[in-house]
Amino acid sequence: MPIAAALRTAKGPFLLLLPLFAVTVVFVIVPLAVFVIYSFMTSALFSVALPFTFDAYEAAVRSPLNQSLAWNSIAIGLMTAAITTVIGLAVAYWLRYRAGRLQLPVLFLVSASIFASYLVRIYAWRTILGRNGLINSGLVEAGLIGEPLEFLLYNWFSVVVALVHIFLPYVVLVLFAAFRPLTPDYLETAQDLGATALARWQRVILPLMAAPTATGFLFVFILSASDFVTPQLIGGTGGQLLGVQIQTNFKAIGNWPVGAATSILMLLFFLMCYGIMQFALWTLKLDQIRWN
Amino acid sequence: MDAAQKSPVTSFATIAALLFLYAPLAVVVLFSFHERPSLSFPFTGFSLRWYEQVFSSAEFGSAVRNSIVVGIASAATTLVLGTMAAYGLGRIPQRYRAFLAMLFFLPITLPGLFIGLSLLVFFVQIRVPLSLVTVTISHLIYVFPYFLLIAWAAVERLDPALEDTAADLGAGPWQVFWKVSFPQLWPILVGATSLAFALSFDEFVITFFVIGAESTLPMYIWSGLRRTIDPAVNTVSSILLLLTLALFSLAFLFAFGRRQLLAKSIRK
Repeated sequence: MPIAAALRTAKGPFLLLLPLFAVTVVFVIVPLAVFVIYSFMTSALFSVALPFTFDAYEAAVRSPLNQSLAWNSIAIGLMTAAITTVIGLAVAYWLRYRAGRLQLPVLFLVSASIFASYLVRIYAWRTILGRNGLINSGLVEAGLIGEPLEFLLYNWFSVVVALVHIFLPYVVLVLFAAFRPLTPDYLETAQDLGATALARWQRVILPLMAAPTATGFLFVFILSASDFVTPQLIGGTGGQLLGVQIQTNFKAIGNWPVGAATSILMLLFFLMCYGIMQFALWTLKLDQIRWN
Repeated sequence: MDAAQKSPVTSFATIAALLFLYAPLAVVVLFSFHERPSLSFPFTGFSLRWYEQVFSSAEFGSAVRNSIVVGIASAATTLVLGTMAAYGLGRIPQRYRAFLAMLFFLPITLPGLFIGLSLLVFFVQIRVPLSLVTVTISHLIYVFPYFLLIAWAAVERLDPALEDTAADLGAGPWQVFWKVSFPQLWPILVGATSLAFALSFDEFVITFFVIGAESTLPMYIWSGLRRTIDPAVNTVSSILLLLTLALFSLAFLFAFGRRQLLAKSIRK
């Protein structure tokens, strides 16, 4: 690995980048291109055939199941993103201004929890919220309820709880990093000028943190709306998402063009959300904060 | 700020968030030691029977072996390609850098569902049978952006004057890397590589689409989850939790702890 030697020539850095560039083109860009092409082809059970058509898109949009799942995905995604962002802001605020010597240990705990297996977490919520789960068996044992509560598991509620659990640590870390340039003297000045805690959030913190907060919100919205594992395991009938149907198109039904078309429509929708967010931030002049 | 004005809301939120994050995991671990197969209260007593059952299962053994092999293969490839790329990225003109960074971070910008599906259709299209090889390639795609993020930041912090001085004093390029850059970089590279291994070890969303007949540890848990209540799932989950959290702590210690130590010793 004669790195330093390569660096002495003008082409050196590009040579060092070449292997990873090649890997990314071959295994990311080309597969995505193949995927897009598949969405314009005709289904041939677990494969595709000619001719090129828009039929898959039409079928994807017209399917009543896809339509209801899309609304479900948007609703569950918005709920998860809203809850995660609010808790994330509070925890990030505490980490930034209140934590003191506890900052590093709590940061460690929050980031470590990201590495707690995704599947295990969904499973944990199934154990806790189930009909014979810990909450129900605990409440029955304590004599507080006679019959197990049915609304805890296998609906949109359990899906939102598990998704918040999965994405909260990411949002805390992103917002904590974003809080860094907002030094305590901004808040002290606001307070000296008579701003209450609520006014400090409304007039100082939220405007200055608008861009990272919106980005965090969108990140959680996209990842939860496209999740296909959580709804399958704990979503019951009311908590299903579009990702599950896309996966079913590929693994069970074998209609690859419709699955690909549905995915691409979903991606385009996410891109549109991103565009709207950027436009809104730009219009409100909140996208380019100049810190001094 | 005035102490009297501090509202306890964010402190409560933090305590609640930490409980919310860790209590469910603690429950999984606790019930992996339950003496009865039931996963509900009351908790009647401790036993290692599920661990004995899991460790004697051949299926579990091969899933763990597969996960380790895939993890090592993808993390090692990431270490080599990622370190080279991190060096390159810091030393090319700005206009190329933005484009390449966008390209390299694409796999973690897109939801895993799309990466998994596109790799599935790609492998089918080029007629490569799904196996641990396709899983390793897919894991490489998924873990290298995280590695690059950390390694790139570390390379940027290197003082180029040190490398130039060593070269002026007659060190060959090979010597410059091993004797000047590598000693500054290795803790971060060890940390980032263990992170890559941990991510691969736990990957499910993409693996689900590109795996063949073999199994990995998360796939093994998945098949357990689809069956009825099986206390052995708690045991396997606890083992997976322990392994990934240990790897993360190692990564944290190397990538972060060493830097703190270094910063302290420099200040002295």
